[in-house]
Amino acid sequence: MEEMMCYIPENLEEALAIMDERDAMPLAGGSDLMVSGANGTGVNPTFSRPVVIISNLPELKGIKVREDGWTEIGALSTSREIAECELVHPLVRKAASQMGAVALRNSATIGGNIANASPKGDTPQPLILLDAEVVLKSVRGERRMKVDDFIIAAKKTKIERGEIISSVLIPPSTLTHCYFRKIGMRRANAISKLTISIGAEVRDGKVVDFRASSGAAGPKVIRSHEAEAILIGKTLSELPLYKEEFLDAWNNAISPRAMPEYRRGATRRMLSFFIDEISSGREEGIIE
Amino acid sequence: MFSEVKFTLNGKKIIYQGDPLRRLLDVIREDLGFTGTKEGCSEGECGACSVIKDGRLVTSCIIPIGACNGSDILTIEGIRDTEKGECIISSFAEGGAVQCGFCIPGMVLAAYYLLENNPNPTEEEIRMGISGNICRCTGYDLIVDSIALAAKKGEELWKK
Amino acid sequence: MSYTKISDKIERVDARTKARGEAMYVCDMTFPDMLYAYMVRSTCPRGKILSIDVPNLPKGYKFITASDIPQKGKNELWMISKDWRAFAEDYVLYVGETIGLLVGPDRTVLKYLKDRIHIEYEPEEPAVTIDDGIASKGGPMFPEKGNNVFCSLFCEKGRPMEEVFAEADEIFEETLETGYQEHVHLETNGAIVTMEDGKFVFYASAQCPFYIRKSVAGLLGLSADDIIVRQCTTGGAFGGKEHFPDVICGPLLVAENVIRKPIKLIFDREEDTQFSVKRHPSKCVYKTALKDGKIIGMDAKVYYNVGAYLSSSFVVLQRGIFHANGVYNIPSTHLVGEGIGTNTFPTCAFRGFGAPQTIFAVETHMDHIAHHLGVDPLEFKKEYIIKQGEETVTNGHIIEEVKLPEMLDVVTKEADYWRKAKEYTRGCGRGIGISLYLLGGAFTGNGEQAIIKAHARLVRTGDKVRIEVGSTEMGQGFQTSLRKIAANTLQLPIENIEYNNPDTSKVVDSGPTAASRSTMIVGKLVERAAEEMKSRWDEGDITTEVEYEHPEGYPWDQNTFRGDAYLGWGWGVACVEVEVDKLTNEVKTVGIWTSHDIGHPIDELIVHGQVNGGIIQSLGYASMEKLENKGGFFRQKRMSDYVIPTSMDFPRQYYHLQENPYPWGPQGAKGMGELVFNGADAAYVDAVERALGITFNSIPIPPEDIEEALKKNVQ
Repeated sequence: MEEMMCYIPENLEEALAIMDERDAMPLAGGSDLMVSGANGTGVNPTFSRPVVIISNLPELKGIKVREDGWTEIGALSTSREIAECELVHPLVRKAASQMGAVALRNSATIGGNIANASPKGDTPQPLILLDAEVVLKSVRGERRMKVDDFIIAAKKTKIERGEIISSVLIPPSTLTHCYFRKIGMRRANAISKLTISIGAEVRDGKVVDFRASSGAAGPKVIRSHEAEAILIGKTLSELPLYKEEFLDAWNNAISPRAMPEYRRGATRRMLSFFIDEISSGREEGIIE
Repeated sequence: MFSEVKFTLNGKKIIYQGDPLRRLLDVIREDLGFTGTKEGCSEGECGACSVIKDGRLVTSCIIPIGACNGSDILTIEGIRDTEKGECIISSFAEGGAVQCGFCIPGMVLAAYYLLENNPNPTEEEIRMGISGNICRCTGYDLIVDSIALAAKKGEELWKK
Repeated sequence: MSYTKISDKIERVDARTKARGEAMYVCDMTFPDMLYAYMVRSTCPRGKILSIDVPNLPKGYKFITASDIPQKGKNELWMISKDWRAFAEDYVLYVGETIGLLVGPDRTVLKYLKDRIHIEYEPEEPAVTIDDGIASKGGPMFPEKGNNVFCSLFCEKGRPMEEVFAEADEIFEETLETGYQEHVHLETNGAIVTMEDGKFVFYASAQCPFYIRKSVAGLLGLSADDIIVRQCTTGGAFGGKEHFPDVICGPLLVAENVIRKPIKLIFDREEDTQFSVKRHPSKCVYKTALKDGKIIGMDAKVYYNVGAYLSSSFVVLQRGIFHANGVYNIPSTHLVGEGIGTNTFPTCAFRGFGAPQTIFAVETHMDHIAHHLGVDPLEFKKEYIIKQGEETVTNGHIIEEVKLPEMLDVVTKEADYWRKAKEYTRGCGRGIGISLYLLGGAFTGNGEQAIIKAHARLVRTGDKVRIEVGSTEMGQGFQTSLRKIAANTLQLPIENIEYNNPDTSKVVDSGPTAASRSTMIVGKLVERAAEEMKSRWDEGDITTEVEYEHPEGYPWDQNTFRGDAYLGWGWGVACVEVEVDKLTNEVKTVGIWTSHDIGHPIDELIVHGQVNGGIIQSLGYASMEKLENKGGFFRQKRMSDYVIPTSMDFPRQYYHLQENPYPWGPQGAKGMGELVFNGADAAYVDAVERALGITFNSIPIPPEDIEEALKKNVQ
């Protein structure tokens, strides 16, 4: 008899038990997995490991702000729910709102988007900028880690046998200026060619915090704390003096083969634009 | 590898028994014979297989039937004879939205979902609402106009 | 009695059934005991087949190959020539070449078996690009000729080119290139074969049911009449279903001959993207002789990448050459075309049929000359616009009045072209571009008379009249247009006219649904048959049938390519305005204005939809539709990596039709389906060039290519 390859548990506990016992993988919205396992019309998808369909687990749904001020996004939250939710940081909302098109945003989940670990994934990039964390659950308990640490490389994460992403936690943000841009192969319904988020916290004319992350540009989302450190602590009037040094450092952080000329050039120009904007005393908010 | 999935399709109760990984699209088209839903790209990219699942527009080629337990699903066959469905279909016919027609049932579903949630959309909102539905024939202008026409013709209808 | 006037805008006859999801495409059809077929294809671009290892097949499963072709049959598909094999045997010429069909009842089993068929090759070095083909990389494809040249032709006009070049102040030379384009008809290719009363019957998504019959019959040593083809509702074609259905139906016929049960073969999108015909990539070398700032002669060498088999490529190349001077009257010209063989999937018909490549080249070349001379491109081009009675590149003459000046007036006014062209300085980030184009309607020269010999038949039953022709509806609206022509001529309501998807056993051959000939030629035939029926209305239930007649006095020599290549041209003007994002090099199109002369429209709403769709396909071709072939393999394999425009990519179009009734068309109509593809690409490139202050010599130009061009410009 054929082995059971797919399960539809009714609650998280049941799901975790199967996940552990069968070394299964969870299927949430299906938008990535159903394509990778596809076998064509009329032939059911197949996978190398058993599948647990978690789409309807109530424990993994919902978005709320916790008492400690962190925003908790249930792993099954769809891009549409995230894009529409005012509790979520605008950078993440922007990324979610530009993922695919209407129907995809109604199915694709944030948990799936992170677990898939595609460098072209839309939401990990701003999450990494915001130092967001994933909560991983298994029969053994729960652990947390930064999304940046969780994703190791393209399609590779630190997920262990039996683990499921149950939620994403975003720390409260103090960024005063933000910028987000997705460049796709066309103006809508597109996979990313390049995405970028930039954020800065400016207090009394001084850059207290500066961050940038870019996606679809290498094996994983790029962030360079070394480069960021160049601008942190500088006054707005000093920024132009350090801009080139920062841009070069950022450019060096990109692995040489990862980014073709275009992505390198566009990233540099967008970073430069953002720095120019804040150094010219741009008011707080999202810079378009 | 059998599981039981209970769902509603166009108002009718269905009990599916079989592989839960089977694509919702194959269940609709092949197992239940509703061929109005089309397969265009098989990767959730073109919108030809759009259906409405629990009030949300989705592409049925990337949804496993196992994710549909308890769901309420509408296909073109389920809306075409409703007042709203007829309003969109007749607007499409009047406005010249239909050429080869392969993308159109999915496009009608996308328009339905749009108008249900936004009875009076701007041109930009209409374009956004159908941006996941690829059409190679029309260049979209007449589809956009037809959806605007449906919004206008069905004014009261969409506010219900 | 109320009848349908041509000017009445009516609802398309197929709109509701399609929108309601009731129209039956071939993928929607099933038959009792139906089997499925999967195509097993070459994974080697060029080489010998050493072995084909097939696993043991369960009962009811068969692997069909060339060895199943009966003795009296020949392993060839008869398109224009007979070089394309239904099944590769002994050697393969491209990735995707059909080697066998795996047939059986259960697709899960078929998939399992297909993954276990192993074919071993002795690979040879493939030629992939036009340059590879010119250099006969890997050894000549035609050893007897010592090269890869499938076909060639030239046309001359005016004085000898050496003489003209010797007189010139300077020769402006450049090479212009265009890439592959995939049709992406939303319905993929597919067909079902079955037996009915001892005859082979096909249900197919196809433009030309009569082509299929003719092409595949020889595989079993049959005549075309032994095979019936029924066209199903066809979900877009654009040329991709002109000859290509033969490549599906041929192997299916061989399988049916062995198995004798209904067999269905539907491509999935990945197959359709990688393993179907494409638009020809092109390379055009233009040399233009200038004297005192005027063009005195133009020499062009045009290469098209034909792939591994000829299919329709020689005709495509001819059309390319006949359009290689665009809308211009250049006093002396010398135009040479070569179809270059490579080890890539054969290229074939695609809306415009060879004309878009050379029109893009000549339009862009003219823009570059104007820039070089420091004059406005449109001002420069206007001087050379050909007029009625003037000589074409094939030494024929323009028969109709050319209304381009009037059309330019409309477009430049609506677009505010002259103001913007001055205000948007080169490199300012915003640009406006304009292009002029044309398309010769119907088959070249006397092809309609000599080759096609189209017929049309009308059958009356009471107050109902049935149209019996082989022309097909594939989305372009012909079911409606043709009924309208008949209804209008017969002065009957359109509901009284019947016109079904053709069944080759029930209708006469009205020729292929291609070359923008359906309304112009078949529409005219139906009009004539209807006129005859009307004049004999009191005879009761009669049948009228007419054959194509060529107007007297328009000679054409198909051996020398001299004479009146086309009896009616469609004319177009497209204007495009863009903004380029300086940070990302993304191009946003902010305005599109067009005017077309298509004679007189049969249905303005249908024409409007065709114009919109053609313009967007052309803008996709210029901007985002990149299809690359590396080592014989297409790099883009699906709709997420070969992207075509969405509703968000281009703005609403301003649309204008120039009335110019065509004397030999029905109600004044002439060809239009392809015309509307032929020029927006050049207008787009012109606009982007002006916005950035640089030049491009190839399309498409996605942001990466713009980045590269900007960089080169700085160096």
